[in-house]
Amino acid sequence: MTKKQLPLDELSTAIGRILGLLLTEEKVDHAVQSLSQAIRESVPGTIGAGVSILDSQGRRTSRGFTDTVVEQADFLQYQLGEGPCLTAWASEETVLVHDLSADFRWPEWTAAVSDLPITSVISTPLMAGGQSIGAIKVYSPESSAYDAATANLLELFATPAATLLSHIQSVETPKRISEGLQSALHSRDLVNRACGILMERHQIPHEVALQRLLKHTRDHRSSLQAVSAEIVAGIPADQN
Amino acid sequence: MGFDTNEPEQRRKLRAAIDAGDINIGNLWLYYFSIGGSVGEYEVEAYLQGMISIPELERDLLAMAANDLLNNHGGPRAPYSDELPEDGSPTSEDP
Repeated sequence: MTKKQLPLDELSTAIGRILGLLLTEEKVDHAVQSLSQAIRESVPGTIGAGVSILDSQGRRTSRGFTDTVVEQADFLQYQLGEGPCLTAWASEETVLVHDLSADFRWPEWTAAVSDLPITSVISTPLMAGGQSIGAIKVYSPESSAYDAATANLLELFATPAATLLSHIQSVETPKRISEGLQSALHSRDLVNRACGILMERHQIPHEVALQRLLKHTRDHRSSLQAVSAEIVAGIPADQN
Repeated sequence: MGFDTNEPEQRRKLRAAIDAGDINIGNLWLYYFSIGGSVGEYEVEAYLQGMISIPELERDLLAMAANDLLNNHGGPRAPYSDELPEDGSPTSEDP
């Protein structure tokens, strides 16, 4: 059994770094892929792990998996519309299967995967802001490979991952990116340009320039954007 | 990693202000980012929960973001670091 465990901090950092980039579907898939790999490494006895992000109709929007076994098992799950991950996603609870051949909750899927080396399964929903946005799962060829402790471990992964992944999704929402973020970027750009002018003018570092802008804004009961706009426009050259 | 003496109080009052004004952390962060804040949303959330310390300038930018969003709604406002006592002894409520 592999005992190598990836600390959650490292995982969060990895996903956080990805979050900082411009988020395309490809990059979300990459984050989900890294997460799958981390889960596989962390859960002993696992032959494959996967992460699925679902929309409100249960359609997959992103997926990541470590092995073809997971790819096939997941593909069948979403094709047949039944399986442990869909149950975990829909019921918002962790699903633990000790032995698939003795479990009758998903007859079509169980029959379809009978040729694959899958006996134990555990799947945990990805919950963010009270909503189920997908599921993570691990598969093992051994029976009873997983127990309540494995469920806890998987849930530990699920909490921060869901929060981060839901951010990725909301940033991708065209409305949010085009309105909120665009105006935030415009404003930030203006403030930074004003800082740059002060830095050059007074030979001061960025933090000091921003501090002065802040002070000036408070003293004049203005807004940081208005003060920055004035500086960029070259109006109160003497006041800063 | 220690906290500046007045950091816990500044954080507590920021928290009280955004709670009273019903400002969610996502919106607070986006506004803070828009005025030049450089701490990530995840860290701001951790700061608000008292888990990490952030520099004074970033705390003041967060205070300004909260106050701009509150837009004089009449509830408590978020104090700037120079409005808090140096020794960090707890003061009564904001004037």
